[in-house]
Amino acid sequence: GPLDINAAKRDMSTPPLSALATARNIERLQDIEYPEGVRSPREDLNKDAKDGKFRYDRDFLMQFMQICKEKPPHLPPLDILGIEPVDQSTFSSMTRTSSGRHR
Amino acid sequence: QEVDMNAQAEGIRTVFSDPTNFNVKVPLSLDATHRTHAPQYQHPLYSAWTLWFDSPATKGRNLPQTPVSSFPQTPMLQTPSAAAAQGWMEDIKRVISFNSVEEFWGLYNHIVPPSQLPQKANYYLFKEGIIPAWEDDANKNGGKWSIQLPKEKNRSNVDKMWLYTMLAAIGETFDPYLTSGESPEPNLQSLITGVIVSTRPQFYRLSIWTRLAPAGDEDKLRERIETVGRHFKANVLGYAESQKLAGPLATEVEFLSHKDSEKKGKAKKIIV
Repeated sequence: GPLDINAAKRDMSTPPLSALATARNIERLQDIEYPEGVRSPREDLNKDAKDGKFRYDRDFLMQFMQICKEKPPHLPPLDILGIEPVDQSTFSSMTRTSSGRHR
Repeated sequence: QEVDMNAQAEGIRTVFSDPTNFNVKVPLSLDATHRTHAPQYQHPLYSAWTLWFDSPATKGRNLPQTPVSSFPQTPMLQTPSAAAAQGWMEDIKRVISFNSVEEFWGLYNHIVPPSQLPQKANYYLFKEGIIPAWEDDANKNGGKWSIQLPKEKNRSNVDKMWLYTMLAAIGETFDPYLTSGESPEPNLQSLITGVIVSTRPQFYRLSIWTRLAPAGDEDKLRERIETVGRHFKANVLGYAESQKLAGPLATEVEFLSHKDSEKKGKAKKIIV
């Protein structure tokens, strides 16, 4: 059926349980009925699919971008890992010649 | 085969059915006391993946989630190559593992894109159980497709190119030999072990690591590797197949075995 806008708006007062924490894996892609306007994964990629191992095309995967925004509960604080965004405006003054670690 | 009666009765719900509250079934009455819980289903990936990161800022940091804890130390340290691998992995930090489409996007939406990374930083996205080092059993006979892109011209493209590279990896569509339906062995293992994006002062580099690299006379493997490279160039990066890419700070899409990389001499590259 169509995407249920009302369901999405409902009950914003209490945060839901983490949906991913309780989610089950899809076992058969054929069982899934996607809402109108949502594409199914390309069937030809999954002709021989078994054991819940599926291939997904990019167009299918891109549809999740704006929907799956839940922060992974196990994601460490990025600054602890050294993953810190840099200010783009400082780039030009930082040009160096070294190429860093590389394999 | 086990049939999930609940799923049959309720219809299988995915994140598309109810993005904010999608594990809770709400009856039409809207009465909260009548709620019943229905499971929500996520899209499993072909393989589980682990994201790793390093930059000059990670050097010397000792974190709970470093490779040291996930690295099979004892047997590995007995060989020189294992010691080299451990040295290489010392500053590479494990970020997170995931095994569903939904988890991938949750991570993607909370992490820093390559265009905003500091210089000399690398993301390594590898199949779970494979470390981003030549010495890993899955990589030691392999090689990599890579392209180097001048930074100034590509700062606005690199995030999309890296995203599309990751999607081809986790969607397991990088190896057209396995997706074209013409594979003689339907369950043949994918050639791809991981993908990497690197930021350097003047360029970006994107790489795809493969399990195998063709020797001189392995025409079948060479053709399969070249198909991966052509797919990368045309379908993932979006270039025309015949487009010339080399220039100042830029390379073609080129393949080099890890063994040849190690030699650091002039090795024969495959170019698509």
